Amino acid sequence: MSEAKPFRPSVDAATFEVVKNSLYSAAEEMKVVLAKTAYSPILKVAGDYSCGIFDAAGAMVAQGPDLPIHLGSMPDSVKAVVQAWPDPAPGDVFIHNDPYFGGSHLPDVNVVTPAFDDAGGLLGYACVRAHWPDIGGGTPGSYGAATDIYGEGLRLPPVRLMIAGEINPDIDAVIFANVRTPEERRGDLRAQVAANRRGAERLAVLARKHGGDVLRGIMADVMDYSEAMMRQALARLADGEGRFEELMDGDGVLDDEEGNDAPIRVRIRVEKQGDELLVDFAGSDPQTQGPMNAPLAVTASGVFTSVKMLADPANVIPPNSGCWRPVTVTAPPGCVMHATLPASVVYANHEVGHRASDMFFAAMAEIAPDSVMACSQGTSAILTLGGNDYRTGQGYVSYETLKGGFGARPTKDGINALASGIANTMNTPIEVLEMSFPVRVEAYELIPDSGGAGRFRGGLGTRRITRVLGSDAAASVCCERTLAAPFGLAGGGAGAAAEIVLLDPNGGETRLNSKGPFTAMAGARVVYSAPGSGGYGPAAERDPAALRDDLRDGYVTAEGVRAAYGIEPPAIDE
Amino acid sequence: MGWRIGVDIGGTFTDVALVEEGGGRIAIAKVSTTPRDLAAGVMTAIETALAQNAIAPDAISFLSHATTVVTNALLESKGARTALISTRGFRDLLELRRSARSDLYDLFQDPPDVLVPRHRRLEITERLDAQGEVVTPLAEDEIDDIVAALRAAEVEAVAVSFLYSFLNGDHEARVAARLRAELPDVPIFVSSEVLPEIREFERASTTAVCAYVGPILASYLERIAEAVDALGLPGLRVMASSGGVLEVAEVLRMPAMAVESGPAAGVVAAAAVGRQLGERNLLSFDMGGTTAKASLIEDGAIETTSEYEVGGEGNASRWLHGTGHPIRVPVIDLAEVSAGGGSIAWIDPGGALKVGPRSAGAEPGPVCYGAGGTEPTVTDPGHLLGGGLAVDIEAARSAIAGKLAEPLGLSVEEAALGIINVVNNAMAEALRIVSVARGHDAREFALIAFGGAGPVHAAALAAELEVPRVIVPPIAGGFSALGLVATDLRRDYARTFYARLSGLDRPALAAGFAEMEAAARAMLAATGIEPTRWRIERQADLRYPRQAYELTVALPEGEISDPALAALAGEFHAKHKATYGHSNPEEDVQMVNIRLSAIGALDSIDVGAPGGGIERLGRRTLVFPGSGAVEAEIARRESLGPGESVAGPAVLQALDCTTVVPPGWRAEADRQGFVMMERE
Repeated sequence: MSEAKPFRPSVDAATFEVVKNSLYSAAEEMKVVLAKTAYSPILKVAGDYSCGIFDAAGAMVAQGPDLPIHLGSMPDSVKAVVQAWPDPAPGDVFIHNDPYFGGSHLPDVNVVTPAFDDAGGLLGYACVRAHWPDIGGGTPGSYGAATDIYGEGLRLPPVRLMIAGEINPDIDAVIFANVRTPEERRGDLRAQVAANRRGAERLAVLARKHGGDVLRGIMADVMDYSEAMMRQALARLADGEGRFEELMDGDGVLDDEEGNDAPIRVRIRVEKQGDELLVDFAGSDPQTQGPMNAPLAVTASGVFTSVKMLADPANVIPPNSGCWRPVTVTAPPGCVMHATLPASVVYANHEVGHRASDMFFAAMAEIAPDSVMACSQGTSAILTLGGNDYRTGQGYVSYETLKGGFGARPTKDGINALASGIANTMNTPIEVLEMSFPVRVEAYELIPDSGGAGRFRGGLGTRRITRVLGSDAAASVCCERTLAAPFGLAGGGAGAAAEIVLLDPNGGETRLNSKGPFTAMAGARVVYSAPGSGGYGPAAERDPAALRDDLRDGYVTAEGVRAAYGIEPPAIDE
Repeated sequence: MGWRIGVDIGGTFTDVALVEEGGGRIAIAKVSTTPRDLAAGVMTAIETALAQNAIAPDAISFLSHATTVVTNALLESKGARTALISTRGFRDLLELRRSARSDLYDLFQDPPDVLVPRHRRLEITERLDAQGEVVTPLAEDEIDDIVAALRAAEVEAVAVSFLYSFLNGDHEARVAARLRAELPDVPIFVSSEVLPEIREFERASTTAVCAYVGPILASYLERIAEAVDALGLPGLRVMASSGGVLEVAEVLRMPAMAVESGPAAGVVAAAAVGRQLGERNLLSFDMGGTTAKASLIEDGAIETTSEYEVGGEGNASRWLHGTGHPIRVPVIDLAEVSAGGGSIAWIDPGGALKVGPRSAGAEPGPVCYGAGGTEPTVTDPGHLLGGGLAVDIEAARSAIAGKLAEPLGLSVEEAALGIINVVNNAMAEALRIVSVARGHDAREFALIAFGGAGPVHAAALAAELEVPRVIVPPIAGGFSALGLVATDLRRDYARTFYARLSGLDRPALAAGFAEMEAAARAMLAATGIEPTRWRIERQADLRYPRQAYELTVALPEGEISDPALAALAGEFHAKHKATYGHSNPEEDVQMVNIRLSAIGALDSIDVGAPGGGIERLGRRTLVFPGSGAVEAEIARRESLGPGESVAGPAVLQALDCTTVVPPGWRAEADRQGFVMMERE
């Protein structure tokens, strides 16, 4: 165990504070440029991207208020560029998405722009990772159950998108020959490049004001500062060891004649000693045929998210690479938590990310029961639709996530319908969605009784009914927790599992597997129920007044009270 | 020349500013706020101000008011019992929100509360499509049951918000008409009237906020308006969150416009004074009895945001969504902390000294006011540290001793300093949020401090943030009230007009603007402001067709012709390039909303109250952070003449507030009575 280094910045405290905040504000400004100018709904309204400022070695100095799943793995994307292009020049812009060389899954496209001071010295990098709604492959949306990385779509190692400030036409041609709806992708890519330019400019301005070397020193300080704070926070927790294991739903590739998708076992072991944490996934199942295999950086990202919430619940430590120095995440190569070439990966990014995040809390419940939360929704609950828009005659690809519950805490209920853990995308307003795509949302509502019972109730999941209009759509779903419902902690009950039902226009009704492609006929409805979250503490200890309120508001039903709380429902009045 | 009068109600005091048009004379009055009957308190304040300054009601030419009623109702969850009627399948819209959490890592974060509890969220069968065409006709036969449910729930206000009502308001209008007929005493707010803009959650939220605060605001403003009429004063106007003032009837059409009315007035006053003094970059710092607000004025301009969430914590950062209730109206950008002169100091279970968010408010108020307060507040260390208005120093001393010093094992002086340090830290954070956290270097700004408690803390905060200069205006304690009379009359209208610029229906666009303009002209005519002082500004929210966020671009006066539209597109491409660093001039441009602002210009006013001959009131032993106990000069603030100065440690006392000059600082008055503090 290493001693916590006392933190002392290389400049005076006021300058450190100002420049540190300027670095975070630069990342936030990148976010503004991206969100406000991108074209596809998943970026412009849902916010499935992250922006960051990195040092010359590729370590993350400042992350925008974006998506936790990207946090832990984005440094690898910049390091891949550093490795492939060790001597960048002003005007270079790099692009890549290779999960086996700094990426997470193919739809997450990284654009990396070096920043220079006025003397031409490299200061660091700006990077935007953005989820493209399509990156090629067999299924619109690139969410098919391919059985190797080659089938998942266009795989780009770090290459130069721009040279001397001009688009590199060779790379440009390759990219846009491989993706669906290229016009929309072009708009998104322009926004990514512009966001990076803004970040790089902000670094250059800071260097001009404070000096390039001073700025480089402060960038190192910011990470040391986060590390020192994280070590102090970890040191305050009890030492100990914790374990947890459970099943994931499947990988989207059918395993028997009946159409069943075999579940996947995951094991976690956590060891907390002093100011350090070891997290190991040894004993998890070998990598699967379908794309439920996580690059180790993705697994680690899931863990880091929960470490931050557990050790720094008030969120005062700036998130950057320094935070994770005291945390070691391991998994044997070739297992679902540490994919090796040529395993397919697309689902794992969020689904395994969520799982690592939730399971970390379960394992830590033995060590720090007052600092954990019950299992949240545990899935990004994705529906992709693609086809031809009957209104315009043009192709479309739609990608939507659905929110479930945020887990119950040791002192509080969970939260209904809120992005949890590694995810933090926004829903697309129904009015924007339907103007953009040939669908009609027929309901979007909370699911009664879906929050796990407990002294503190789990948050409710949501149900959305989406009708496909005009012509058939090539659809796919990617969901977890349809089999293993979100667990409760400290005696709390599980949240309701997810469920996806396809109602075809002729009256047929099919319960879909958690993952994989299907055809949604014109007029068909997809009834998608995202999971609730687990409860905390025994149901018998629930405050009767809180239960009455829940009943009055229909968060629980009379039958739900009987089944989950084992009592006759109390009388309610307004 | 008449007098203008502005009444700013705060959590602790109600301030009245009187300014003589043309003459530049100003006067203030300060009375305690009466939380149990705010409207009566406002009238008392007006009458007191007129009597103190021997001004007759018929000498008043303009009366405006900043209200806290809307913000308080939301913060304290004391609004009307509200119901929401939605399209079937969408009753939970207000709770589902945009689904992102505001804090990525806060394990114990709370969900935002929902203004309408689930059991009062009703649905009706109806549905329009994305073109505004009827998919499912309105089930009028369901309205009877809805009326019965609303009656049974004894609702006090109703919000009606259906999908796509911004394209076609017919279903909403039919439901509203029936409800208004059946429930004549219940105000009905309809989304297509309140905010005909795309995005169902934000539209429903704005409508629900209006319904929730509407009844309270109406009874409050109507009472004041009647009393004002009875006194023979001019018609009451209300400061809107955008920094302009409005007639009462206009505000009640869209009560959400009255949030943050007082804080907006303060920033407007700061900007006006900045213009007068030639200070283009200002940090405005307004600390009253309950809260402190920081805002930034860069190059003379006030920033407004249309992504405001009322009752939330997230407005500190433009990208923190999800802590309050979104309202789609222009709001002055502020960072606010729950810490003011009345905030109570306490010891948390861990043994840490905390200040706020609980406030002793106006009643009972700080212990040292001798009005029955027993818990030590931020104002109570005043006798040690230079605060004013203390009447019962011994009570304050013993409250600090008993509640804080003894349990913490500190001396009374140490505990008193502890309160100040904790509260200064919170204030500095608010100032950092609007400056340093957004990449502005605070060292390039001047701090303008006002509110009853602002000048007490200003120099210490300036030292903390390395702001080189502090400006204390002549009537600092009632300064926000000054903003109420130093602004223009303004009303902003908006509606969705969804069309590509190529092939846009020009007559329909012209008609859209004409309708808003007719409403605007009627509004202005009702104010009595001469038409030569009217200004109508047209704008359009534009974006590239596949984007989600618009840029607002001005559309000059004149006919909506091809050249005018081409010029508009050109402006958009240029603004996109300037704002985001790229543009795509070959692409068509999507119009989303059209906007019209109606402005009735009022004469600008200068403020000033030069004194002459320093009146020294003696010396006292005070304690300053870092300096310990020192002898400080006490002087009457109004007596400082142009160019006269006092060296710290010193305290400048005035009726409305106290200015603390720490050791190492010097305070100097200018020609107009502004006090400038700089480090020596």
